[in-house]
Amino acid sequence: MVGLVLVSHSRTLVEGLRDIVAQFGGDDVPVALAGGTPDGRLGTTADRIVAAIREVLGPSPVESDGAVVLFDFGSAALSLEIALEELSPDERDRVRVPEAPLVEGAFAAGVQASVGAALDEVAAAAVAATNLSKVIGG
Amino acid sequence: MPERRLVVIDPAGLHARPAARFVQIASRFASTVTIHLADRKADAKSLIAVLGLTIRPGTEIVLATDGSDADAALEALTAELGPYLTTATAPAIPSVVAEPDPA
Repeated sequence: MVGLVLVSHSRTLVEGLRDIVAQFGGDDVPVALAGGTPDGRLGTTADRIVAAIREVLGPSPVESDGAVVLFDFGSAALSLEIALEELSPDERDRVRVPEAPLVEGAFAAGVQASVGAALDEVAAAAVAATNLSKVIGG
Repeated sequence: MPERRLVVIDPAGLHARPAARFVQIASRFASTVTIHLADRKADAKSLIAVLGLTIRPGTEIVLATDGSDADAALEALTAELGPYLTTATAPAIPSVVAEPDPA
């Protein structure tokens, strides 16, 4: 199954988002978090993102169908870029970074992952969430 | 192509939770599953497409399945979405099955 990596400046934000993915997608969907800095402040670090990606990918391709990374804003994109460079080419091949909103993207990708969809399908679900109309009648 | 008319009974409409269930159940089957709402339709295997319909409480939808396991898919969806949907008993709303009346 494809897993999600949730990256945010805030630890509690991604913890809450993990609950949402578990509720709507199901407990089976692997989710790893990279929220906040190691000393508990708001922020993102490449090390935490690398660790979260590897947590989802597992030690070998047998364990996971890949990881979709969703992140919030600002320096998260930079930390993620550094994190992706840390990965081996084999690891990088099994990671997707869709242009998608964090909350709606995680919700949509989590449901898509829960039905056993392939890595690119899960990433596409997150992208599709970008255009989801939110305001009723909007 | 089997189809069934259903009414959304959940007071919040077909919101996130049932939409997610819709996708999960529909994805178990090879058949295509389509939700028709008036003149619009959505692939029930796509969460964003289902949510995009913005199905309100009390609305009638038509669930249509097509493929080798179409009947089983329709049965499963109707049974497992029971808390959210009920079989429509009133006559069909013409917008789904017929051309709109000329003004």
